Amino acid sequence: MDVLLQHLINGLVLGGTYALLGIGLTLIFGLMNVVNFAHGEFYTLGAYTAFAALALAGVGFFTALGTAIVVGAALGGLCERVLLRPLRGESIDTTMLVMIGVWIAMQNAELLGWGGVAKTIPHPFPTAPLTLGPLSVAPLRVFVFVTALALIAAAHLLIQRTRLGRAMRATFQDRDTAALMGVRIGRIHTATFAFGSALAAAAGALLGPVFLVYPSMGDLASLKAFSVVILGGLGNLAGATLGGLVLGVAEELGAGYVSSGYRDAVGFVIIILVLLFRPSGLFARAERIG
Amino acid sequence: MSMRWLSTLLLTLAVFALVTSGSAQAPGTVKIGVIQPLSGPVAASGNYVRMGAEIARDWINARGGIEGRKIDLLIEDNKSDPKEAASAAEKLIVRDKVPVLMGAWGSSMTLAAMPKLEEYGVPMVVETSSAASVTKRGNPWVFRISPPSEMEALGLEQYVDKLAVKKADFLAVNTDWGRGSIQAFGDMLKKKGVQVGAAEFMEQAATDMNAQLTKIKQSGGDTLFLTTAVEQITLVLKQGQEQRLQRKVVTTGGSSSPTQLIKQAGPAAEGSYHIVFFMPWFPEAMPDAKLAKAFVDEWGKRGHPFEGLTEGFRGHDGIATIAEAVKLAGKDDPKAIRDALWRVNFTGVNGPIKFEKDGPAGKESGQSKPSIFIVQIRDAKVVLPEFMAKR
Amino acid sequence: MIVLARTALAVALVTAPLWLASSYHVHVLIMAGIFVILASSLNVLLGYTGLLSLGHAAFFGIGAYTSALLALKLEWSFWLALPAAAALAGTAGWAIGRLALKLRGAYFVLVTISFAGVIALVSTNWMELTNGPLGLPGIPAPALGPWSLRTKTAYYYLVLAAAAVAYLVCARLVRSRIGRAFLALRENEPLAESVGVDSTHYLVLATVVSAAMAGVAGSLYAHYTRFVSPEVFLFSYTVTMVIMVVAGGKGTLAGPVVGAVLFTILPEALREATSWQWQMLVYGVLLVLLVFFLPRGIVPGLQRLAPRRTP
Repeated sequence: MDVLLQHLINGLVLGGTYALLGIGLTLIFGLMNVVNFAHGEFYTLGAYTAFAALALAGVGFFTALGTAIVVGAALGGLCERVLLRPLRGESIDTTMLVMIGVWIAMQNAELLGWGGVAKTIPHPFPTAPLTLGPLSVAPLRVFVFVTALALIAAAHLLIQRTRLGRAMRATFQDRDTAALMGVRIGRIHTATFAFGSALAAAAGALLGPVFLVYPSMGDLASLKAFSVVILGGLGNLAGATLGGLVLGVAEELGAGYVSSGYRDAVGFVIIILVLLFRPSGLFARAERIG
Repeated sequence: MSMRWLSTLLLTLAVFALVTSGSAQAPGTVKIGVIQPLSGPVAASGNYVRMGAEIARDWINARGGIEGRKIDLLIEDNKSDPKEAASAAEKLIVRDKVPVLMGAWGSSMTLAAMPKLEEYGVPMVVETSSAASVTKRGNPWVFRISPPSEMEALGLEQYVDKLAVKKADFLAVNTDWGRGSIQAFGDMLKKKGVQVGAAEFMEQAATDMNAQLTKIKQSGGDTLFLTTAVEQITLVLKQGQEQRLQRKVVTTGGSSSPTQLIKQAGPAAEGSYHIVFFMPWFPEAMPDAKLAKAFVDEWGKRGHPFEGLTEGFRGHDGIATIAEAVKLAGKDDPKAIRDALWRVNFTGVNGPIKFEKDGPAGKESGQSKPSIFIVQIRDAKVVLPEFMAKR
Repeated sequence: MIVLARTALAVALVTAPLWLASSYHVHVLIMAGIFVILASSLNVLLGYTGLLSLGHAAFFGIGAYTSALLALKLEWSFWLALPAAAALAGTAGWAIGRLALKLRGAYFVLVTISFAGVIALVSTNWMELTNGPLGLPGIPAPALGPWSLRTKTAYYYLVLAAAAVAYLVCARLVRSRIGRAFLALRENEPLAESVGVDSTHYLVLATVVSAAMAGVAGSLYAHYTRFVSPEVFLFSYTVTMVIMVVAGGKGTLAGPVVGAVLFTILPEALREATSWQWQMLVYGVLLVLLVFFLPRGIVPGLQRLAPRRTP
């Protein structure tokens, strides 16, 4: 029983970060219809930015996190403005190919710039785990989980309660009407992509200290993010949140009770099964956005 | 169609580019081909081996080369991909006409290049690969100076009692190396009456091993044998600490780079044991202390990272072995060098290098018996375990 | 003029082993030939039906492993193993096609990626069948009666023949009613359906043909390199294939050929010039630039330079 609970805890903590990745992508993929294969690269970028800030510039942990978010947003916005906006009318394949190009370019640039050796990000939390009977969890992971949830909540608030959020929802529900009502469509697109990328960068900055930072860390992250998005339904933030947690727990339980080798297959299988049987996602509701 | 015409032109130009892009070689040099992963996930290791090889080359050339002829290293990147390893071997042998090779780091890369050795009759010194099949496939052009997992396990046998291992669990990376290691160490331990508990795997790119660690914790062994690259070892140690996995850890394979572990895993690495094939922290304990110290010093002089030494020495020993063989052969002919390799008998950084027959009769490969050491991390420093006497 | 160009090309290819400087160059052409088949197979889906499959490495790998295992474990002759590999790969393609028939665009892509991911994990973990990461060494070279096709020259002609056949199959497919149906579906599916084009039927057909061709390429690869390991499922192969098709010109017959040859020869020629990392970086940037400036690829771009009637 304790083993099961330990697996659950492991799964939830991991799931929180999957959720963070998923929310960013569900906005980009779900709302903008861009198959962002470079999403994982923004995750990696966030991790390297945090590393640079902490290990090289020596700033505090929270400042590093903030820097990562800002850099992610800036680069995301730039990406959208320069690469995606001119292609807006094109087929989905075209944008997909562009993002694949960005993915390859970013990853190899990172390899060239930082080298292939993994980096550790120092963090201020004690290494001794928090314990509750036979269960243990590291303080850093608790922090990551809590922060992830906070960011998710902030994202929800932004979409539901702010003017920007309203404008986003309007744009993606009915672009022409939104334009007629005075919404600056171009800006909304840029802002949405920037926002999604910022969330990915945040996930990277949070997970960087937990694991290690290396150039190919984003590949699996990308695919798992897609898994979460499909599980939760495109454009569905609550769905993505739940989906992330579900994926995390499913992976843990799969690795624990079935086979650790096939751990990553869980995400793939989810994609296949959901798309075949319930393409709108497990948690889809009538309303598509938010 | 003019498009076809232009396509033909393009094709011809491309082939022409290929034909004419040859590397100009200095005449009168001894060419040695080196195939290593210089890009991709294990690029760091491949580069360390390259650095070691370059030190060997420079030393030999400074001493006048081989009978007056300088060594020229032709280094190719196998991109951590077996297909590229085969391509690189092809290019080096056919286009650059090297009479001997060193490579290709990973076992699957080496295995992919091996058919080329037989096809063209060129010997290769294998400096890192650990899969048993490398020397058991009946390829008489293969000479390995690194230990296969079985030999490594045998090297540890004498310390099993001193380490007080009663029940062992395994966690290895899911590659030829990891699987081979579990097999070899498992067999050795069972022969010594040690109980074998869980055997878990992790994918090469995996970062979260909590599921496996939870299962290992449940298994209740007293020692965890860990086989993977240094980054994953760091993660396993840290996550093990988080799960309060209290047991001895022994890493195998020689790639654990304890110095890097201390830096990255910190207190989580405390008390762990590591099987290594070179001890740069105390070169005086190596079979040829003077050579070992000189190597460590030269490495540092060139500004290479200290943690790379545990792998870089392989490059040195590989090139030194080849140079020995070329000297004994007296000429650049691949077959003569192959025959000479059987007569090689000297001491490299790791220790004595002499090839024994390994594999099916009539087509044996060469396998040397490298020295195997065990070190421990105590008080954030690398030390010799109390029980260890010099091998 | 055209005929002259075509014959010149044919003669050049057929006599290649004679005038190429070394067997290394023949080796490069053999690899190029295998990728021509692979790129053409992807083109059937991406170029002609408009379905992007990013899991094509899976069909390649299935073909390679099937052929290898049949030759090694059951001692089948290469000439039986190759069609079996194509058949199994084609069946996998059929499964994907049928399962994904409701999906288009991004969803289809994701299913193909996931499928490839699962197959890759199976090949690494199912030790009893695939020997996992240790791979399958010692795959026998094909033999034609008493002659072994182990030599470069012999294998080159084998691959050349296979590539020619693949090209012809594509050409006939494209010019047939089936090909027109593909194009109709690519351009405007609802309209095509309304005129009676059964999209399910044709899309599944496209996937099967595409997968089977990739399987053939896999088998040829396995018997040439004589070693297969899970690295055949590396995503970088898929990416390379995509670049070959997109750069060469998707939806054209010569496009994937040009792309395959170019992107096999280029990395080899650039070996000494730059590190692999820089090359990959350039490929990434190149992909982006291509999408913007040469969206239809090199071959159509050349066509525009020399305006003649297109086929």
